[in-house]
Amino acid sequence: MSSPAPKSPEQSEKSKKYDRQLRLWGDHGQSALESAHVCLINATGTGTEIVKSLVLPGIGAFTIVDGKKVTEEDIGCNFFLDAESCGKSRAQVATQLLLELNPDVRGDYVDENLDQLLENSPDFFNNFTVVIGTSMTERTLMLLSKKLWDLEIPFIVCRTYGFIGYIRVQVTEHTVIETHPDNQIPDLRLDKPFPSLKKYVDSIDLEAMEYKDHAHVPYLIVLYKYLQQWKAEHNGHLPESYKEKEVFRSTIRKGIFVDEHGNPEAEENFEEAIRAVTSSIKATVVPSHVRDILDDDSCINLTSKSKPFWIMAKAVRDFVENEGEGCLPLSGSIPDMTAETEKYIALQQVYHSQAAKDSEVVFRCVQQLLHQLNQPPDTITEKEVKMFCKNSSSLHVVRGTSVADEYDPKTPNAQNIAGNLENPENTMVYYVMLRGVDRFYSEYNTYPGEFEDQVEPDIVKLKVWHFICLVERFS
Amino acid sequence: MAASIDGVFEAGLKSAIEAAKVLVVGAGGIGCELLKNLVLSGFKDIEIIDLDTIDVSNLNRQFLFHKQHVGKSKAAVARESALRLNPNACIKAYHDSITNSPYGVNFFKRFSLVMNALDNRAARNHVNRMCLAAQVPLIESGTAGYVGQVELVKKGLTQCYECLPKAPQQTFPGCTIRNTPSEPIHCIVWAKHLFNQLFGDDDPDEDVSPDTADPEAAGDAGEDALKSHSNEKGNVERVSTRSWAQSCKYDPEKLFQKLFHDDIKYLLSMDNLWKKRRPPTPLLWGSLPDAVAGSSRNAKESGLRDQKSWSIAECAQIFADSCRNLKNQYESLKEGDHLVWDKDDKSSMDFVASCANIRAHIFGIPQKTHFDIKSMAGNIVPAIATTNAIIAGVVVLQAFSVLQNNLKSCQTVYLRSKPTSRNQVIVPEKLLTRPNPKCYVCSTNNEVILCLDVNSMTVKDLQEEVLIKTLNMVEPDVILDGKGTIIISSEEGETAENNPKKLCEFGITDGSILKVDDYQQSYKLSVTINQRSVSKDGYDFEVVGDISQLKPQEDDTTNSAANGPSDQDDDYLEIVEEEDITLPDIESKKRKSVGETEGGISKKRRIEDDDDDDVVII
Repeated sequence: MSSPAPKSPEQSEKSKKYDRQLRLWGDHGQSALESAHVCLINATGTGTEIVKSLVLPGIGAFTIVDGKKVTEEDIGCNFFLDAESCGKSRAQVATQLLLELNPDVRGDYVDENLDQLLENSPDFFNNFTVVIGTSMTERTLMLLSKKLWDLEIPFIVCRTYGFIGYIRVQVTEHTVIETHPDNQIPDLRLDKPFPSLKKYVDSIDLEAMEYKDHAHVPYLIVLYKYLQQWKAEHNGHLPESYKEKEVFRSTIRKGIFVDEHGNPEAEENFEEAIRAVTSSIKATVVPSHVRDILDDDSCINLTSKSKPFWIMAKAVRDFVENEGEGCLPLSGSIPDMTAETEKYIALQQVYHSQAAKDSEVVFRCVQQLLHQLNQPPDTITEKEVKMFCKNSSSLHVVRGTSVADEYDPKTPNAQNIAGNLENPENTMVYYVMLRGVDRFYSEYNTYPGEFEDQVEPDIVKLKVWHFICLVERFS
Repeated sequence: MAASIDGVFEAGLKSAIEAAKVLVVGAGGIGCELLKNLVLSGFKDIEIIDLDTIDVSNLNRQFLFHKQHVGKSKAAVARESALRLNPNACIKAYHDSITNSPYGVNFFKRFSLVMNALDNRAARNHVNRMCLAAQVPLIESGTAGYVGQVELVKKGLTQCYECLPKAPQQTFPGCTIRNTPSEPIHCIVWAKHLFNQLFGDDDPDEDVSPDTADPEAAGDAGEDALKSHSNEKGNVERVSTRSWAQSCKYDPEKLFQKLFHDDIKYLLSMDNLWKKRRPPTPLLWGSLPDAVAGSSRNAKESGLRDQKSWSIAECAQIFADSCRNLKNQYESLKEGDHLVWDKDDKSSMDFVASCANIRAHIFGIPQKTHFDIKSMAGNIVPAIATTNAIIAGVVVLQAFSVLQNNLKSCQTVYLRSKPTSRNQVIVPEKLLTRPNPKCYVCSTNNEVILCLDVNSMTVKDLQEEVLIKTLNMVEPDVILDGKGTIIISSEEGETAENNPKKLCEFGITDGSILKVDDYQQSYKLSVTINQRSVSKDGYDFEVVGDISQLKPQEDDTTNSAANGPSDQDDDYLEIVEEEDITLPDIESKKRKSVGETEGGISKKRRIEDDDDDDVVII
């Protein structure tokens, strides 16, 4: 969430290089990417491929942990290793070649096996943003999974086996502020106008306008005016049913100016108002998924270790209960519309300043909370609070489970596995097979069928391990 | 190679890969990933073609290119980089357009498989047709942002790229662009036209001056205004914008005065236009507003130049600077050459952004940032390495199936940005998408091979002897495919001057395809030319194909919905291109398309851009 760097030639070079992705995730996404430090366990073909796709868009830094030496086989299935690298440290060669892809990225490596590393430097993983593991043995997978779960660092486990692949994401809790929802419903408050909106719109008299002005009034104002009229005639209720909305639409249509022959003039703004009835005439409420977040235990009971997301959520909760009178902070943006520029900007300003006021209230509350929690006041910036308020109607929280728990035979997901195994279209069978293969590898230190003369006996052994896996599950 | 490791591929596949000769069309985002996958999978004989050169904006995903390669041939550098790490592969690179004449049907026939990694519809159409004609399986793919798709095109078995009509590009009436803009895009299109009028290929259809023939203004273009206007300009009413600009040495102040003051005054004189519209406000160079509209919001949010809103005074400054730079660029060209608008060229983009915003201000239209204008003017499709890598991976998996002759498992695959209800992100269709029986490009029996000598056969002979007498047509129209040249028109006398000309004079050569349409019979036919010199025993031509089946189709409307769009998934993705393409719209001269298709630039560039990989969701 750092602020954008000052203008410089380098900056403009960067924005040129990253242009096509900035249009996907914006400056904000880019700075999140650039402040990230990713750790890759094992520079396998899959592993380097993953890091390649992170280095190109400009991840801040990566670290590769791999104690193996490059073999002929590696060169065959890893594009980023050349023939000369045979026998060298796999972590080192991969790091060098990946760094060539983007001079803005920092990269380093540890030529050590994960087991040793976990033993020798238990704090090694404390500061990564994400850890990605490929080709891990079951034993080290368990160790690392537990460690990262406790550190609350996201862990992505990847596995490829011939034409089969597997990805497992382990996150304790993932909070999202900018969710970029597909159908963002504009936050217009037409049903509960805030005082400055009411004042501004009341100052406009549609009746007294000339045609040219009438046809260039922002449609929000048109909607607002007719809604006031409707509410006055319907005991303060909004048009709710389909039928009521139809009647409401035809009322708006009647407001379109007619020419000297009695034919309606072309008023695009009125057409826009009519089209927007469905999406914009709604009671302003706190969406249920946001309500759940505000009522979450992590939100209500803050601790000195609470993350910024929850502190801001608590401040928003207080806002809803007090100043907001049941509403979230105003998002502050309005949709594009056919309108005279000056009127549009004036209306934009009305929404914008109210949103600034709302987020100011939330920010003050955040500062108080930080003080009460003994967290430094600069833990959360005003800009972050603004962003949080702007997106408060689409906040999202994901909570996951740990890989170690999943592998623990005591956890009750056997039913789930068994149920899915019965469905021939389900891919659960691959999961069970891969688990069996991992057990096999742990036991014999080779993959089943790796040596041609052992294929038949390996099949028997693999079946045994699958059997054991399943028995563990169902016993 | 992974292929050399026993057990990875079954024996049949391994040898099929080693024996295969494959063509990759495009060395951009998908092309780089494809090349990597092909090399690692053990493909021994790969050809790659791309006419584009490397741009800085490619480097975030086209990993075979590094900073020092900017400006070089994509195909050549892709080959070098792939060989540097994997010296055993055999790769042939062409720095050329796939639509050029050397790459006819016979070129395509050499391959076991063709993989498209393109970014524009015109080139996709072309390769689609060539692969259908050459009977070579084609794997078509595209990406946009987080989404993408892969589909197999195999004649008779699957839908071809042109089986379903693609949504037409957005177009605007010429008078909206020239006289009465009401949206930012109208001003952006106008600014791109202006660029071409001043520095580019000045297409008369892209005139930027007030349109006196606007039906809405109907004759009211005040006589007085017209008079005074022409007097001011020394009574040379139809002098081209270019010559005028050259005569005043592209002086930014004078250009500004004409474009944003005099022309606007002239528009104001067309009273009818402003009866119900807000009239535009002419601007004077000396007194430009310095405030930024809505700046309280934008200025704080971003420090990047391109994402800031500019005041009109700033716009004018940027307009002046970019004019000077473009003038210098233009004057350093050879006589007769012109600049080609490029969204990644700073001056070109600054010019369009500043002009569009000044014009928007004049007409009371909201202004846009440089960043947003670039998106709209360049039709930019966002692109990242990850999506390209996933799609290229699926392409190669399908290539394996094609080589194993297991075409049934090559269902169209969609990569989605969000999982389906069944939790799938990579989603295959359940079945192969069958060809549209009415597709004029791929339906059966709608094509023949015509052997003749293009240097001796005249258009008249083609019409009379081949199409009417031999192929039983009544009133054929003939268009040279790809170029769109009308060779024969069924309109009486319209192409009479073509009759004595030889086919070669129209650029018809071996592998050229003629699209023949007999409206009367509702009958369409694709004719592939096979060049044969006139032999001694003096034969004129030979039609190869089962002519006995070439009978006019009954117009069977009951049939028309079969395999049509109704069968499609809701989330069917349509592949379009980054650089927008519309086939020239002959019927409505007044309508303009947005994006690169406008005028000369597009005609020259549309098949050439190979920058991105794209798809759009309907």
